[in-house]
Amino acid sequence: MGADTDEELVRRIGTGDAAAVQAMVARKLPRVLALATRMLGDAAEAEDVAQETFVRIWRHASGWRQGHARFDTWIHRVALNLCYDRLRRRREWTTDELPEVADEAPLPDAMPGDEGRRVSQALQRIAPRQREAIVLVYYQELSNIEAASAMQVSVDALESLLARGRRSLQAMLVGDDGDD
Amino acid sequence: MADERKTVEVPLDARRFAALADAYGSALHRWPPAEQAAAMLFAKTDEGRAILAGAARLDAILGRHSVEAPSPTLHGAIVARAATEVRQERRRRFWWLGFGLAGVGLAGAVAGLALVTVVNPDIQSDHYAMDTNATSFGDAGPEADPYEEDL
Repeated sequence: MGADTDEELVRRIGTGDAAAVQAMVARKLPRVLALATRMLGDAAEAEDVAQETFVRIWRHASGWRQGHARFDTWIHRVALNLCYDRLRRRREWTTDELPEVADEAPLPDAMPGDEGRRVSQALQRIAPRQREAIVLVYYQELSNIEAASAMQVSVDALESLLARGRRSLQAMLVGDDGDD
Repeated sequence: MADERKTVEVPLDARRFAALADAYGSALHRWPPAEQAAAMLFAKTDEGRAILAGAARLDAILGRHSVEAPSPTLHGAIVARAATEVRQERRRRFWWLGFGLAGVGLAGAVAGLALVTVVNPDIQSDHYAMDTNATSFGDAGPEADPYEEDL
């Protein structure tokens, strides 16, 4: 199965296996980059996060021990922490309290071919923890248990974040999109 | 399995079905595995279909957001750094292992010294009991009170 193969790749990387490095990058880079891009809304910053995530993978490879989390979940946690470091630097919030959505007003209609950008804007306007939940479950296709583990919350808390995030996105994106 | 029993014994009601659709959207494969079977049954009802249709509208829009594939430059930069990082980490671990072994050796030496001290404290005593009647040839007066003299 894929999970076992991840751990086997990590073990081989720890022994200096160059082919395993290539395989790991080919397998995980698209996922890490997609995660960071959606969390940060900035392609250049997302590339930096992807590079830093892999540096941590390389550093931990020789001593990797599987604990409670699968390797893929661990990578998500690492990448998310790096994303949050950057979000904090942007001063998106100044307290531990997660911000509520500042503005749920419907976004302007997208021009043809520009719908993705509209979704990206909407994702950046919801609370980071809600965005994280939606990105993990919807885009990264983690199971509810894996996503909750990566976010270090209960499944109930994850469902609450998902529901609130989707409601906000619904207000911004679907409110004026009745023809879809 | 416990999850399967839960699925069979606790069928979803409309309220729970709507809550799950609110959270996970219209694609049942994203729903909690333990509730998917019951959800599939409820999804065949009119109410279930209506709830999923509402969630599907947002799903369709979210699905329009795609991320470009990583560039070959990024891929190459990450791979290029791997060899250096792995090698440095292995060297770091080697040194820590060395420090650890040295620490264990030192701890063993200290423990051994402490053990010798406890078992036979006279060996390294830096003071001795001098009897006023003692001479270089032995005790000359057994009835005398001894006193200790620290060197």
